[in-house]
Amino acid sequence: MSETPFRNPGWAGNTGEFDLTEEQVRGEDFVGDRPAHGGHASGAGAMPYMLAEKNPDVALFEGEYQERFEKILTRYPTKQAALLPALGLAQEIRGYVSPDSMDRVAELLDLSPAYVRGVATFYTMYNKRPVGRHLVQVCTNISCNLNGADEVVEAFLRYTDTELGETSEDGHFTVIEAECLAACGFPTCVQINSRYFENVTPDQVPQICERLKSEGK
Amino acid sequence: MAYPYVSDHEVRILSKHFGDPMQRRVDTYVERGGYGALKKAFEMGPEKIIDEVKASGLRGRGGAGFPTGVKWSFMPKGTGKPHYLLCNADESEPGTFKDRELMRWDPHQLIEGCLIGAYAIGAQHVYIYCRGEFFETNQVLARAVEDAYARGYIGKDIMGSGVDLDLTVHQGAGAYICGEETGLMNSLEGRRGQPRVKPPFPAAVGAFGMPSTINNVETLCTVPHIVANGGAWYRQWGTEKSPGTKLFCVSGHVNRPGNYELPLGFPLQKLIDDVCGGMRGGNALKAVIPGGSSVPIINAEEVSRCTLDYEGCVAVGTMLGCASVIVMDETTDVVKQVRRMVDFYAHESCGQCTPCREGSAWTARILRRIEEGRGTEEDLDTLMDTTQQMVGTTICVLSDSVAAPVQSSINKFRDEYLALIRRGERVGAA
Ligand SMILES: Cc1cc2nc3c(=O)[nH]c(=O)nc-3n(C[C@H](O)[C@H](O)[C@H](O)COP(=O)(O)O)c2cc1C
Ligand code: SF4
Ligand code: FES
Repeated sequence: MSETPFRNPGWAGNTGEFDLTEEQVRGEDFVGDRPAHGGHASGAGAMPYMLAEKNPDVALFEGEYQERFEKILTRYPTKQAALLPALGLAQEIRGYVSPDSMDRVAELLDLSPAYVRGVATFYTMYNKRPVGRHLVQVCTNISCNLNGADEVVEAFLRYTDTELGETSEDGHFTVIEAECLAACGFPTCVQINSRYFENVTPDQVPQICERLKSEGK
Repeated sequence: MAYPYVSDHEVRILSKHFGDPMQRRVDTYVERGGYGALKKAFEMGPEKIIDEVKASGLRGRGGAGFPTGVKWSFMPKGTGKPHYLLCNADESEPGTFKDRELMRWDPHQLIEGCLIGAYAIGAQHVYIYCRGEFFETNQVLARAVEDAYARGYIGKDIMGSGVDLDLTVHQGAGAYICGEETGLMNSLEGRRGQPRVKPPFPAAVGAFGMPSTINNVETLCTVPHIVANGGAWYRQWGTEKSPGTKLFCVSGHVNRPGNYELPLGFPLQKLIDDVCGGMRGGNALKAVIPGGSSVPIINAEEVSRCTLDYEGCVAVGTMLGCASVIVMDETTDVVKQVRRMVDFYAHESCGQCTPCREGSAWTARILRRIEEGRGTEEDLDTLMDTTQQMVGTTICVLSDSVAAPVQSSINKFRDEYLALIRRGERVGAA
């Protein structure tokens, strides 16, 4: 029926960022020379692992990453519980979870490679093969679907000139459909790498893609 | 301007500071009275806390509505084993978007609730299992935890009470089924997130084989307010059996979708008309799913009779679930939307139980056939029959969740199925 999908005009759009600096929000005590991944071990497993710059050949868990890996181990009563965070770390470093990475994680946690593979393939967030610099995940579940999510998917595919699940020729974009991203009141919700874009309409798609490309990541 | 939308009907307890990023700052939180309830809790002692939570009548906000105080009292005492409190922050039920907002706007409220809960059940360590896709939320939470450690609200000898508590944020990796309580435990332990057969129940054998309790984010966020103000105070809102306030996540075809905190028992029609500014474009209402995609769909007539409390929803043949109100107007293609929901369950089934794994996949296939105009009337009987075999026959209730939308929509919107089957005009194209 309606050509222009319905929009919620009361929302800021991209809620991945706030107008205030971290210093303003957290207070001066908590901002300083902290490592990029945060300070306390309690949050060690909770950092973004879909970074834009990825290097599939870099060594796993060295230096700063070694520290983080060891911090993670201190937070659980068993070594095995570090498996999900460790796979996340591997993906943060290499961009996807390769068979080689899985073997290395298995070795470090005293697990069999087959077991690690069994676990990794259960979860959707581990990329089993390399993806574009920007992994575009469009929610097409019910609330977004009611507000025209299918057209948003089409707009991304048209702009990037790819098919669902494939990577565009320039290596920038992989577009996939996602299940509900828990932002249903602000449809259509699109997750691009670690960022949420809310209230996305098809006509905004070129602008969003251009901006991502120009950020050079 | 205030948080996307607010309404005069709201009673904002949990959502009071939505839209104010300063609330994330530990010092601001404390200035506004934060961590006061934790101090009071240490003075009260575990038993009194549990009594107060029982008196409030607080029911779990994760979907099942089980009384929280009663759940806490199941935890064994004096076992000498480690106990765990798990916070279920895996929010992924289609239509639900409250936990993310609670965590990103007011992370310390949740941390305080977790600490009180852990102290009440004798746990030493809290794990907040936060959905993997929530990168921003995970960071907000992790930083708040770090700040709380630095200020001495988490850690050793908290505020001179002699109590030691630890808290870890655990990032999920993308699987709806990890929201199911035992699936979450398996996932936390570094396994596939497949639900476990019960019994044994988590209070006996939970995470890492130890006694554990699992609560939803919203449940735990409510706890500091109950401890601070008392159970009787909380009962001034809501109904006898469903006391208190609840966040309603409204999405779909209304003018002002969003999160609204309302007393339980609020009329559904009034929520749509007054709180959410009515239907978009003045369209007629066709159907509502009041509790997230796992509950039966109701039609406009039932909407006009439905009150939003656990009993009121049951009275019109549906459930409150996690109060995710999905509103559909007259242009909605019901068959397509039901098919989309079933696709979701087919994708998310963990595959352990045959009725769920096979049933969800076949149901999705038959629905697609009907949607594409290749269905027959017998298909409707097959759908009813197949989904009936998926109810109560599996390890967890994901399987039952497939039956809810399919059976209720065939019962209430049979005409739309028939129209497609008879290759009539497609109804709407939302
Ligand atoms: C398939 C499935 C998915 C679930 N997903 C969630 C979820 O994302 N968040 C949640 O809090 N509860 C979820 N639950 C409910 C939990 O199993 C559990 O009942 C709840 O976390 C208990 O917390 P409460 O007592 O505070 O409600 C889910 C249940 C099932 C069967
Ligand atoms: S009902 Fe489905 S999701 Fe639940 S345990 Fe069985 S197969 Fe897994
Ligand atoms: S349905 Fe799209 S975010 Fe929930």
